[in-house]
Amino acid sequence: MPLVCPDGAVVAYAWKRQLAGQAGASAVDRTRLALKAFTDQKRRFFPHLDDEEDGEGTDTVSKKHRNLPALAEDNQDNLSDCKTLSDVLTNLEKEIPNLKVSTYERLDWLKRASSLPASANDNTMEAPKHNFHSTSILRPAPQNVASMDKVAVIELFFPSIFRAVVSLHPAGSTDPDSVAFFSPDEGGSYMHSRGSSVYHVFRQITEHATVALQYFLGIRSKTALYSLLHWICSYQTLFTKVCNKCGRLLAMDRQSALILPPVHRPYRTLSVSKQSSSQSISSTLDQGSNAPEAYHIGCFSDNM
Amino acid sequence: MSVVYCHIFRRLISYNPYRKKSTTMPLKRVFFWQPNAGSTVNSQILNEVSQCVESINGVKEGRWKATLTFYKPMLRDQALSAEFPREFIGISLPEQPNKYYFVLRFNKIVLESDSSIQLIMEKLQSYKSRVALNFEGFQYQLGDFQLRVGKVVPSHSENLRGIVMEVEYLPISSLEKSKQIMEEFFDIWQDAISKRSLPGRFIHIEPDFSDYGLADHYTSQHTAVQYTHVTSQLIASVQAVQTGRN
Repeated sequence: MPLVCPDGAVVAYAWKRQLAGQAGASAVDRTRLALKAFTDQKRRFFPHLDDEEDGEGTDTVSKKHRNLPALAEDNQDNLSDCKTLSDVLTNLEKEIPNLKVSTYERLDWLKRASSLPASANDNTMEAPKHNFHSTSILRPAPQNVASMDKVAVIELFFPSIFRAVVSLHPAGSTDPDSVAFFSPDEGGSYMHSRGSSVYHVFRQITEHATVALQYFLGIRSKTALYSLLHWICSYQTLFTKVCNKCGRLLAMDRQSALILPPVHRPYRTLSVSKQSSSQSISSTLDQGSNAPEAYHIGCFSDNM
Repeated sequence: MSVVYCHIFRRLISYNPYRKKSTTMPLKRVFFWQPNAGSTVNSQILNEVSQCVESINGVKEGRWKATLTFYKPMLRDQALSAEFPREFIGISLPEQPNKYYFVLRFNKIVLESDSSIQLIMEKLQSYKSRVALNFEGFQYQLGDFQLRVGKVVPSHSENLRGIVMEVEYLPISSLEKSKQIMEEFFDIWQDAISKRSLPGRFIHIEPDFSDYGLADHYTSQHTAVQYTHVTSQLIASVQAVQTGRN
């Protein structure tokens, strides 16, 4: 039976009526949701058809996600995604000490962005429900599970250094679709994952991050979010790590005639196995052999 | 009676709610020109400095002006003047047109207040301006950096007493996190200006902000403290030149 949405559009497949009927969902969103619902149902009722996909699974991180026990039978589909997202964020918080991770529903993020930089001076977060704490998934209360389902924006905040905004599509999944960097003191409704900072340094990083995101989605789509978030965290040394090629922090970029710090961090060689996480990508701020590399725009070449 | 005024004023300073709410500003360092021994500052140096900014792709944007005033207490009995703070300074900054800053350098106090305080002071007649200095010049944009180059002149004269330069890094406001950036920028600047063989150099001496109760996040109060220190250093170097002459 077809579903007629509040804005008059007709949805042919009514398997996931609630999701499909979300106010404001575009036709593209609804199609994506329908496809996802179809795929989830197929995986559940016809598991043998999925053997090909899951069989090889050499990536240790995605294997770990599949072994997690489900909490409740009826929302198992949503939960396997939620647990994965929570897992990714929990791992991140554990590995990287200075980082503050927060998650938001899409409209909530717009409200927060407009109220920034009101709390720029202090690092206290506002409503606890937006704070992502690793302890929250240990509580069996179902409301945490439901809120993870709607998470559409992840905010990574390194106090006094930068703020990165990552958008997930669809909400609650581990599929990032856009990312942007901003000054820690910036605020306004233009601050979202497809927005642009007023400062050159963050605009350049956002451009580079968009390319990195496409790489992560293309080559490592199952761990794209994990890779992206870890790669974003390598920028915490933005104002201290000198360029690996020229040895300086600031350099005049010939093309834009701007003086910039090293805004490029290589993404092709980023390793996401469990072994590398214990090396702790963020452990040192100097040129240790494990520290991620940094390059000025002019010092960076594409095969890095 | 005048002692009572002083106490009232000190209470105003301690309990002023504005003190805590200062908004974060981008990082700034204020430099002053130190002429070499035997030479003085002149407008030719100012021109060369401005040209140097443009040579590193600085785009001239507009004018700027800050003022600094030394106040002295109006006392019936001048013998009491020793009881009053030795240097009581008032500063106005172009980025904060509605504010006025007070610094008591020897007591390590800085206060941000509404600019209408100047009207109140005039009515009270408790303190009068002894010496006033203007810092004025042009502002330049260099990507995420903003530079201001300015001459230091007494308020009712055209005598060039010094040159100051402000270097501001707009994206962040943490003093600690921006230290390397500011130092490297100054290295780039030094490379450029040393080619002009000018008889002197720019110096920055970072005041101890924590003495004034200021935190790591940069504010206009930090700027007021920097201007206070730069002025005292300028005065010291001018006096040194004069002593040298005598």
